[in-house]
Amino acid sequence: MVEMKPFKIISKVNGSTVELGVNPGRRLIDILREDLGLTGTKEGCGEGECGACTVLINGRPVNACLVLAPEMNGKEIITIEGLTPEDELHPIQEAFLEAGAVQCGFCTPGMILTAKALLDKNSDPDEKAVKTAISGNLCRCTGYVKIVAAIRLAAAKLAAREGSI
Amino acid sequence: MTGWRDGGLDPGNSVIGQSCPRVDGVSKVKGKTLFAADLNINGALYCRVLRSQVPNAILRSVDCSEALKVPGVVAVYTAADIPGENRVGIIVKDEPVLVEDRIRRAGDALALVVGRTEEALEEAVRKIQIDYQSQPGVFSVMEAMGEGAPAVHGENNIQSATSIVRGDADAAVSGARVVVTRRYTTQMAEHAYLEPEAGLAAVEDGVIKVWVSTQNPHYDRREISRMLGVGRHRVRVTQAPTGGGFGGKLDISVQCLLALAAFKTGRPVKMVYRREESFVASPKRHPYIIDYTSACDAEGRLLAVKIKIIGDTGAYASYGPATLKRAAVHAAGPYAVPNALIESYCVYTNNPTAGAMRGFGVPQMAFAHEAQMDLLAEALGIDPFTIRLRNCLKPGDITVTGQCLSHSVGIKETIEKARDRAMELGMLGKPAKNYGVGVGCMWYGIGNTGAPNPAGAFLDLLEDGTVVVLTGCADIGQGSDMVLAQIAAEELGVNIENVYVLSGDTGVSPDAGATSASRQTYVSGNAVYSAARQVKEILAREAREILGSGDANLDFRSGFVWRGGKKTEVTVKEIISGCGKKGILTLGSGCFNPPATGLNAEGQGMPYATYSYATQVAEVKVDTETGKVAVIRLVAAHDVGRAINPQSVEGQIEGGCLMGMGYALLEEVNLSGGVIENPRLAEYLLPMSLDAPEIHPVIVEEPESTGPFGAKGVGEPALIPTAAAIANAISKALGIRFCSLPVTPEKILAALEKRDGYLIQSAESTQQRR
Ligand code: FES
Ligand code: FES
Repeated sequence: MVEMKPFKIISKVNGSTVELGVNPGRRLIDILREDLGLTGTKEGCGEGECGACTVLINGRPVNACLVLAPEMNGKEIITIEGLTPEDELHPIQEAFLEAGAVQCGFCTPGMILTAKALLDKNSDPDEKAVKTAISGNLCRCTGYVKIVAAIRLAAAKLAAREGSI
Repeated sequence: MTGWRDGGLDPGNSVIGQSCPRVDGVSKVKGKTLFAADLNINGALYCRVLRSQVPNAILRSVDCSEALKVPGVVAVYTAADIPGENRVGIIVKDEPVLVEDRIRRAGDALALVVGRTEEALEEAVRKIQIDYQSQPGVFSVMEAMGEGAPAVHGENNIQSATSIVRGDADAAVSGARVVVTRRYTTQMAEHAYLEPEAGLAAVEDGVIKVWVSTQNPHYDRREISRMLGVGRHRVRVTQAPTGGGFGGKLDISVQCLLALAAFKTGRPVKMVYRREESFVASPKRHPYIIDYTSACDAEGRLLAVKIKIIGDTGAYASYGPATLKRAAVHAAGPYAVPNALIESYCVYTNNPTAGAMRGFGVPQMAFAHEAQMDLLAEALGIDPFTIRLRNCLKPGDITVTGQCLSHSVGIKETIEKARDRAMELGMLGKPAKNYGVGVGCMWYGIGNTGAPNPAGAFLDLLEDGTVVVLTGCADIGQGSDMVLAQIAAEELGVNIENVYVLSGDTGVSPDAGATSASRQTYVSGNAVYSAARQVKEILAREAREILGSGDANLDFRSGFVWRGGKKTEVTVKEIISGCGKKGILTLGSGCFNPPATGLNAEGQGMPYATYSYATQVAEVKVDTETGKVAVIRLVAAHDVGRAINPQSVEGQIEGGCLMGMGYALLEEVNLSGGVIENPRLAEYLLPMSLDAPEIHPVIVEEPESTGPFGAKGVGEPALIPTAAAIANAISKALGIRFCSLPVTPEKILAALEKRDGYLIQSAESTQQRR
């Protein structure tokens, strides 16, 4: 990689403002994993095919392996570590556990963030909508069955929570 | 926390058959699980391998002088730097860690660069000068077995052969009513676990420590110790949480390279494969060529099979010999066949190495034997379920290797249950254009084929009623930690939350063999069970003394001692502290080796202690314009002996079905002169969520008396009959028999084009006598 002049970035990562001077050729996934120690974002392919590196940028699911550093400037980024406070589980995380949607767990952080983006837009997705939303996230272990069930269960949990407020 | 599970002895209080949540689940959903690529030690150096681009060459020299000048490069190692033996391999030691003189496949490792940054490594790898002379290679098994073919190793490309002879197959064929002969071919496939291979190594207090994504840490330790020429006690391999394996992480990947770099530099080192390197360097599923003849009587009863299997194991043996032996043993399918002549050959070529992949050579065979069953049924005009029920193995039947199956033979029940479920779902008997339903059956021997494959376990019951289990069994995502915890909890009557399973660390846990062959629930499960029984025996001895009750049958539930099914006043804590006062520790160790025997020259013997069985039914719709197949529903009935954790059994079935669907329709490693043409996820097609059919798992339990609480295994069986069922469904939909996997749109369109005049019943090699 050619050394380039450090590029100054200010963005919000998991709620905290982050200021970095980085080589503009570096990928967001590396900045998250190496500079910020957020290793919950996984690299399965490095070319936008597997979705293991999914993070939310301004609420939209994005493959962090395809995003270059300058593109994170001024953006709000959520990784799996930022989904909930340290000792809490998000309803989507609870649903993944209850439905048995986790096997090896390598696809899990990306799946959960993709699910979060979906449920933020569509509070009651049908099976087709769930499958479409996660079509960029590969899972080699589960056959997707319990992942789809988990996301629909999460929708129900979120709806119940809404209702109880 | 009481430590003890509430409730009495009635089955309702059992943790066996409960879908206990997995222990590692919370960390995984929080993104806190540290996989190998997430591990780091301050100051760790990075490693990168220079791999051969050519499949067959004499390596004359590797010049590292320019590479060493690159700033940030610390060292470059070649074969000459390996202190011990430069050969690894689970069955045959035929693969160099770094090539010394002969390149046998594209992807062979030639040099290892160690440096401070990935950028420096990249540049250094480019600057290594290789002097080699290309040689003509062999890229097909037919060529490799031919007269005068260049030998990949030694003199001859036939790495190993298995033959099974039972009865007189030729005579039985000549007297049969229907004889069907076909050739089946299957493709090379990639595991494509989502986590590429990775590891970290460091030398601490004279011990070489390696943390790695693996399915067999104890094997890794053996290979590292041989390669470095140090005692095994000086190597500690810790399995990092592993992001899938499916057989592809049974062989050595980064382990020896990392250990070499750490050993030589004295610094911590790290290595992560990129996806493309994972494709190029890892073993694959064997492509098979199968010549299959089946013969039956007028009722469709199988009289004989004659089968020849040739598997391309590529440049190195890996698990090839075992895969082809297993293929021969399973070639006839889960059916009683009185006469059999089966041969299988494991053949070297200069193609990528093929090794173990979920199913271990049996999915290929299921594709063939299930097509044959349908062809026989079609010739006689009988229903696919009927012909299978008529032939399937029953207790008391003898297999083609001469093994008498006395119990836990669930194939009949899986056929019936799968059929019934398919019926309930309305899948059967609704003829529609280009729509088809197909059946696939399988059997699968649990554990290694006719070879010892023991597992050990230690168990420590602590004063507060919590339990630590130490096992070498690598949990690669399938959930073995949880299953082993359930077995320990059940036997000792403690809460599942109070069992900690520490697995896959050669520094503390005994060898449990490979996480392969669907063996860990059965083999390690038994080891943990017997360790727990030992502890229970210690408790019982003390309890008998306190209760003054001779050799009464004692149990431990809800924190109390139970005598003859009745609760006593004595608590388990009292017992443990009673033991403590006498200086007795409540420790147990267990080990289990499945009772099996090797095969003799005729292929006769008892290769497995027990078998799992399954039947799957696939429903497909074929788009005759595009050639695309949509799998609509899959019913998968699996005899697992006993489902220790039903949710995870379902998870295995669902995952296996989808992987099997990929194998049936999409996945193929394309080669050109031994070089992989599609080593990326963009080009190697995996099933996505939108491709996934409805999957209906049906759990059948025919308890195995030698299994822990009756359990057998399910990991591989889940995938084995899927491609068979789908291919049969496509054949029903179109009236065209496909004998080659994967059944791609191109193959379908080509076959549709020449469908006129093509009738299954009149195909040349189906003969019927009146
Ligand atoms: S690592 Fe980014 S999509 Fe695979
Ligand atoms: S759980 Fe392993 S890849 Fe999804």
